[in-house]
Amino acid sequence: MHRFVFLLLFGNCLTVVADEPFDESVQPFLKKYCVSCHSNGKKAKGGVDFTMMTAANAAADYEVWESVAAVLEEGQMPPEDEPQPTKAEVEQVLTWYRHTLVNAVGSHPGFFKPRRLCATEYRNTLRSLFGFDLEVAIIEAEQTVAEKSLVMKLLPTDPPGASGFTNDTHSAPLSTLLWDQYSYLADAGLTELLSKKRRSLLEIVTGPISDEGLTADQAVTVARWFVPRALRRPPTRDKLQAIVDTIRDASNPLAALKAELKVVLMSPAFLYRGMLVEQRPGFRAVVDDYELAERLSYFIWADMPDDELFGMASSGQLQKPEVFTAQITRMLDSPKARSLTDDFAVQWLSLDQIAKQSKRVPQAEALKSQPRDFIHYLFAEDRPLLELIDSRTTFANVFTASYYGQDRKQMKRFSKPKGIEVQIVPNQKLTLVHTTSRGGILTMPGILEMNRGPVIRGTWMLERILGDHLPEPPPNVGQVPSSPPGKKLSFRERFEMHRSKPTCAICHDKIDPLGFALQKYNGPDYNANADVDTSGRLPSGETFETFAELKTLLLTTRKRQIVRNIVERTLSYAVCRKLELYDRPTVDIITNRLIETDGTYRQLIHLVVNSPEIRNTAFRD
Amino acid sequence: MNRRSFLRGSAGAALPLPFLNMMEASAKETGQDKPPLRFMTLFKPNGVHPPSWHINGGSEFDFRMSPLMQPFAKHKVDLLILDNMGDFGFSSHANSTRRFLSGHHQNTKSASIDQLIADKIAGDTPHRSLELTTEGLFPNQIGCSYISYDAKGQPIPRESDPQLIFDRLFRSPLSHQQKRAEMASLLDRVRDDAKSLTRRAGTEDRDTLDQYLTVVRETEQRLQKMQQRSAATADFSSFKRPERSANLDEQVTSMIDLIALAMWTDSSRCITYMLGNSNSRMIFDFLGVKEQHHYLSHFFRNFSRANLEGLLKISRWHMEKFDYLLTRLKSFKDHNGTLLDHSVVLFGSGMGHSDNHTVTRIPIVLAGHGGEFLKTGRYVRYSENQPLRRLHLSLLQKFGIEVPSYAGSSTPLPGLDASDFTPWKERPLESWVKVEGNQITVQGRLRMSDNLDEAKLFFVDVEGRPPVRVEVAFRDFHHFNIAYHCGTPVTLSGTGQTEGEQLAITKVAELTSLFGKRPGSARG
Repeated sequence: MHRFVFLLLFGNCLTVVADEPFDESVQPFLKKYCVSCHSNGKKAKGGVDFTMMTAANAAADYEVWESVAAVLEEGQMPPEDEPQPTKAEVEQVLTWYRHTLVNAVGSHPGFFKPRRLCATEYRNTLRSLFGFDLEVAIIEAEQTVAEKSLVMKLLPTDPPGASGFTNDTHSAPLSTLLWDQYSYLADAGLTELLSKKRRSLLEIVTGPISDEGLTADQAVTVARWFVPRALRRPPTRDKLQAIVDTIRDASNPLAALKAELKVVLMSPAFLYRGMLVEQRPGFRAVVDDYELAERLSYFIWADMPDDELFGMASSGQLQKPEVFTAQITRMLDSPKARSLTDDFAVQWLSLDQIAKQSKRVPQAEALKSQPRDFIHYLFAEDRPLLELIDSRTTFANVFTASYYGQDRKQMKRFSKPKGIEVQIVPNQKLTLVHTTSRGGILTMPGILEMNRGPVIRGTWMLERILGDHLPEPPPNVGQVPSSPPGKKLSFRERFEMHRSKPTCAICHDKIDPLGFALQKYNGPDYNANADVDTSGRLPSGETFETFAELKTLLLTTRKRQIVRNIVERTLSYAVCRKLELYDRPTVDIITNRLIETDGTYRQLIHLVVNSPEIRNTAFRD
Repeated sequence: MNRRSFLRGSAGAALPLPFLNMMEASAKETGQDKPPLRFMTLFKPNGVHPPSWHINGGSEFDFRMSPLMQPFAKHKVDLLILDNMGDFGFSSHANSTRRFLSGHHQNTKSASIDQLIADKIAGDTPHRSLELTTEGLFPNQIGCSYISYDAKGQPIPRESDPQLIFDRLFRSPLSHQQKRAEMASLLDRVRDDAKSLTRRAGTEDRDTLDQYLTVVRETEQRLQKMQQRSAATADFSSFKRPERSANLDEQVTSMIDLIALAMWTDSSRCITYMLGNSNSRMIFDFLGVKEQHHYLSHFFRNFSRANLEGLLKISRWHMEKFDYLLTRLKSFKDHNGTLLDHSVVLFGSGMGHSDNHTVTRIPIVLAGHGGEFLKTGRYVRYSENQPLRRLHLSLLQKFGIEVPSYAGSSTPLPGLDASDFTPWKERPLESWVKVEGNQITVQGRLRMSDNLDEAKLFFVDVEGRPPVRVEVAFRDFHHFNIAYHCGTPVTLSGTGQTEGEQLAITKVAELTSLFGKRPGSARG
């Protein structure tokens, strides 16, 4: 073992891989079997260029090495028509990989980095801070679409970060456009907060307000209430005193209050998360209570801490295990935890792509809301992780009921009010008895509508459910051929001719069996297309005849892969960054724990919030 | 002196205008002895209920405004009511919407007339045009949501929020003196804040704070540039920002206030406003109506007296908003007259009959004199159907846009500034009443009550005597389809009461259309 030297250092990459073993056992293998295709930069097959791979960047490129290990283990590479390595040669590379990039990896919480609030978090934070939503005056009549949130209307759409999530704003910096919109929104919010319309809300803080408006004392009270919440931690005494003095000395206390609060709302400490964390350069430390409270609330609610959580942080009790657990449970029970579905799961499973082209609002809404209500149920009722794939429970309304055969008879009859022509209809919970094969998210009509055709379906399942990373397809793949003269071939047969080349097969062997298995589920009745071929063979060799059999494989032999993917996505969303090699120990521990206990969604959340990634941080020297 | 700059220091939106003479004087000094022309449209969703909207009988200068027109009847001298406008046949909501300002629904590659007019009249106003609405987009037939189209025929995004419009018109952050001062002091403060954070920050934070400080610096530079450029722009700081509206009524009222204010401050000269999508699904709960407007607008298909009353309440609300716009425009003095005198307001809908979607007799009312080019106080009912594109071509030409044709029409519509049109010829009609005991028979033109709160009340006009009241139970109303016959001459007999000259029929025995017009078997 002494040959495999690694160090934990505070550099760009925490794991440093020694040159020697790489040069001795990996480099020659690559030269011999891989670089003839995987070289030449952008032209390299699958975007993987082994001539650029060194021991020094192995940790940074750990995802490439993960897939190298996977294809070597399953014998998928090199392709059949290329020279094949011996078992011993393969084992040598795998040994290097396991030692260096798996077993030797030390856990690290990642370096602390402030992060700008994304639009959703900013909207929710303003809502909690003010006590009302900033709304656009527009009538959202049935069958029409309108953006009611002033924040979402005015802020540019956040690009997803390297993690794939929009709360990962590390590469979406502040811009002058954002500055102007923040300024506008701060003005709009403060104007409304201090308006007559919101007087009763403000009176909860200040006591009765006379018709002349706020007194100087009341303005000070508002500032003392507002500023610590906006900063998500108590300001220094000097800072708060300066604000109080400015308001007291002003000839117009109301105007002074407004100006002071606007400074707070435009300050880095409000717009970014973590600006006020106490820095300890070169140290790795447990995060302070206020930072922990924020990490929890922005993860579970996409919102600032509420008064109770803030109170637990300021009384120093939050890190007590029983308090901490009770707070997480309380937060998951809150309606705000719907964010785990509407923000996290929607982005993870790309649910915002459902019915994007549909012009019929209530029908589209039925397709969109079904998987969301289902996932919310998994969180709310604390269901086992794999019920995502297979569940006896589903949600449907009058527009999706036809997919559930006899089971739809459980639904209460829907009648719309008089004088309403077409209406968005809430879903009802169904227990599947007759249509159990329709259970789980994969066969929901909205998911099938979003991913049209077997290839897109298979790809989506691989990437989103199984956590595989596929390269871009090569250019010039051409068209699926038509049947040769005199023969009538099915689409599947013609498609198999089209992608039979080894360079295509490497990905399509993985994609196609998953996608074609769903071919009977396009329409409401999956028994209708009896003669469609849904059989398949996974690259690992397992075969199946029907989607039900594939589902069984997913729930057994693929269980670890799926659970691991759910853990990775959840942790990545929670820490608002792409996972790195040093997160592997955490992912492994949580995955193992969830598999041992047939873990549930709430257990997953509890494990994530107890991980070093959430509880600890490290500061660069 | 610049007209806009003169508004500096004036006091609030509803202010009486002490500056007016000064403004006029300044306008004259600079040779602007003519005030600018403006163009506004107010679009009414879901057509009309013809029996309550149509003017029947009467002539160009001598006419009785219909029940639905009562809310704006006080503006009669400023109105040019056009009738027999439209095409033959039927139209979808989407097509009729495009047609409202684009001449024809197939005219999809050119600008709507409001945009062509804006190009001509906008001058150096800060907002070339504004496109306003109240309701969300209707994706299923997207055309229902737009009346204004750009030069490529693409729909122009709409805005619905009065506060956003107010801020865009009068609180532009960097061109507004006070806002600039506020922002400058804010930048000083947050810069200090960020710098004090930088002193204690780690490397990662420092990068982020650098980005932040860069934006602060860039904003300071932008402020300085605006400072130099906009020395002459007006100060609107005394204008009151509208409160957040609690319902549609407040929202539209605020928006109309802003339209008038935008015109008066010469912030814009061309504004289109849709009171809803052309197939509006809105619910007017503030009027006590719980059904959707579109549902109610199909008043035969979904017939009940309550539904009809609901529809008329909504329609009257639309008319009240038109009245409010005209009233606001008149409340602002402009040179020797009012804002309305130098404006053209086009009010109307995309279709005529809201239940069967006919596009004949589309409601079209012009208001204001457009300087001199509209001759108002008239009811112009053409002898034949006039496609809207002819009106559009005429308006373009009156606004000084030299185009030979628009949307396929090259013959302008006569009758806008003179009586040079062929009027509709009424068939001669003899009206009379016969009374025998409690049996009353009357011949004359049937009409609805002017008071739409009483949707069940009708009158038959008889020359030389008070009209005969028809007030019957729902059964008779429905069985004889009384609403259908409104506006047409009928012979009606039944039992009722007589009180001297005042006659009232309370039970109908027979209703015959004088010129053989019967309700068809088809709907409507």
